[in-house]
Amino acid sequence: MKIPVGIPVFVAAAGTDPRFAKMVSRWLVSAGVWLLFASVVGLLEAFRLIDTEILADHAWATYGRMRPVHTMTMLFGWASMALTGLAFYVVAKSTLLPMHEPLSKTELVFANMALWLFNIGVGVGAVAMCMGDLNAGREYREWPWYAMAPAFASVGICGVLFYRMVARRAVQGIYISCWFVMAGCFWIAIVVLMGYQTFWTAGIPDRIIDGFYIHNAVGMWFTPLAVGMTYYALPKLLNKPIYSYALGVLGFFTHLAFYTVIGTHHYIFTPLPMALQTTSVICSVAMIVPVWASTGNFLMTMKGERLAISHSYSLPFLLVGVLGYGLASVQGSAESLRFVQEILHFTHYTVGHAHFAMYVFVTFLIWGCIYGLVPRMTGREPPIALVTIHFWLALGGIAVYVVGLSVGGHLQGESWVDGEAFMESVRVAGPYMVWRAVGGLLMFVSHIFFFVALWKMRPGAFTMAFGGGQS
Amino acid sequence: MAFSIHTNHRVLFLLPAGIYLVLVYLCAVWPAMQEQAAMEKIPQPPENELVARGRELYGSFNCVTCHTQQIRGDERKASDNDGVRVVPVLEADARFGRELATRAEEYAWQDPVFMGTQRIGPDLSSTGRRLPEAQWHYWHLYDPQSVSPDSLMPPHRFLFTTEAPTGDAQYDHEEVQVIAGLGVSGGKLWAKPDAVALVEYLLSLNREYLETEGLGK
Repeated sequence: MKIPVGIPVFVAAAGTDPRFAKMVSRWLVSAGVWLLFASVVGLLEAFRLIDTEILADHAWATYGRMRPVHTMTMLFGWASMALTGLAFYVVAKSTLLPMHEPLSKTELVFANMALWLFNIGVGVGAVAMCMGDLNAGREYREWPWYAMAPAFASVGICGVLFYRMVARRAVQGIYISCWFVMAGCFWIAIVVLMGYQTFWTAGIPDRIIDGFYIHNAVGMWFTPLAVGMTYYALPKLLNKPIYSYALGVLGFFTHLAFYTVIGTHHYIFTPLPMALQTTSVICSVAMIVPVWASTGNFLMTMKGERLAISHSYSLPFLLVGVLGYGLASVQGSAESLRFVQEILHFTHYTVGHAHFAMYVFVTFLIWGCIYGLVPRMTGREPPIALVTIHFWLALGGIAVYVVGLSVGGHLQGESWVDGEAFMESVRVAGPYMVWRAVGGLLMFVSHIFFFVALWKMRPGAFTMAFGGGQS
Repeated sequence: MAFSIHTNHRVLFLLPAGIYLVLVYLCAVWPAMQEQAAMEKIPQPPENELVARGRELYGSFNCVTCHTQQIRGDERKASDNDGVRVVPVLEADARFGRELATRAEEYAWQDPVFMGTQRIGPDLSSTGRRLPEAQWHYWHLYDPQSVSPDSLMPPHRFLFTTEAPTGDAQYDHEEVQVIAGLGVSGGKLWAKPDAVALVEYLLSLNREYLETEGLGK
């Protein structure tokens, strides 16, 4: 019988450059800190939809300003930093670089510098937004330019490092994970440049760029990186090749072709050019191709591995994440259709979908990759009890959250269609704000368990013993 | 196979990058440039310093998180062929102070456009027409639930003061007519300059400018 998981991780970790392991670990721990911080802010916002008096006397803490603190810190502080940290390890491993020195000393300095630049961006961004400097509320780019600049520079540095690692690979072929990482770094750079050049647009053109920015920031950065990480972690943890490499390549190019143009589906039924609206709806539906190319690929790889998955503490996260990717994306395709938009646009349903995608898909895949790969780098496994509690609390929390907001959003939309008084739509969604807060609370508690587990996996004595020659 | 994407990292970098740049131009830059040229034919609305400041505050408090400024229109339901009168997707949107969907002209020169993506609160595209009383807005900002029970809007008490303004401050503060239910101890309340500007902006959302320019209602 194959032993796909539970291979003594110290064998895998032996000989890994401890400075490299520390650098990657710093990215992940930073991400973990931002995850906790952003969860607290999100939870606060959820409770304020139940009791409007919370922190009501402070301009810096007003609902509108705290909301981007939650979203921006989650997107860039948590997901981006975690994925970038993981990408260092995945690119190094999949290019077969010598793990005793995957990055040169100088490159390590740059990688650490990028880490601090990113942290500075996230921190400065959060403070600036509380002070009201939030880019006039342009969604998902509420950081003022001086907060985005260090983060942008950071991703630029990392992009160059990834490229250099791929360029000096010890194998002829370039694995699909590296495709997603390299392309993702370039794509997000273009997206951010587009989003922060607002001087040449006003009126409708401003929204054309906005639709482009909102969706590309998500789909040309988080999706490629999360999927890229999974293409490495899943076969690795199952100790078998990916089901179909060609499906991965198909997924990559169709993702590029369709995802880029779907942004306008945030502005259906608006005065934006009709051709753009219709194209975005068609391509949103076409997204089923790249999504299920990768989801199907992952599921087929997992086929017949029930025993391995049930005995692993990392694979269940990947399973949930993979299903989340497939389902959240199909939900997104459906939401772009005009007859669905009529009812559900502007409602809480959209918020449920956003969390479904960023949490069940991106965040669960990140967790699966962290639990699966970090022990192979540091030689330290997390306490399994913590991981188990983390898994079930997070899954339960997001289920309560998404179901609550989906039902609440539906009722809200139906109320508008029925032509009831506007306040009736607020009242009817009221009870589901409690679901939202309860789900959020469960997720927040799970993040504490995650953080402790992450901390237990940090590089310590073990890597030193094998990598640094000390006992 | 020197130029195979599977084995040549330069090709692997340049090909997706190049395709992406072309697509970005086609789906974002080019349509935006076209629409920008069309928009610039529309005369700029008159400048008003107080309204501009209020608009800035609207952005700074991120009001767009909960309030839209768009009535979605369904061209398939257009009642005549002039392309201007577009019927709202939701009939009930008439309660926001208008019968027709918002059109491109209304957004001309706005930077950014506060179209919004969520309606935790009502649409504000015609607030000045629907609720033309400044005092109502002061009550609502100070204590939303006093005039709109069950509202989820947080109070913005920090935009008000109970201390009588003195000196020059008398000119940029506005006295609020305290009503029962506001819960103001002492019975006196003044709107700070930020509140005055914000309300001035909300009242300016009335489409009057469009009508005087002959751009329809």
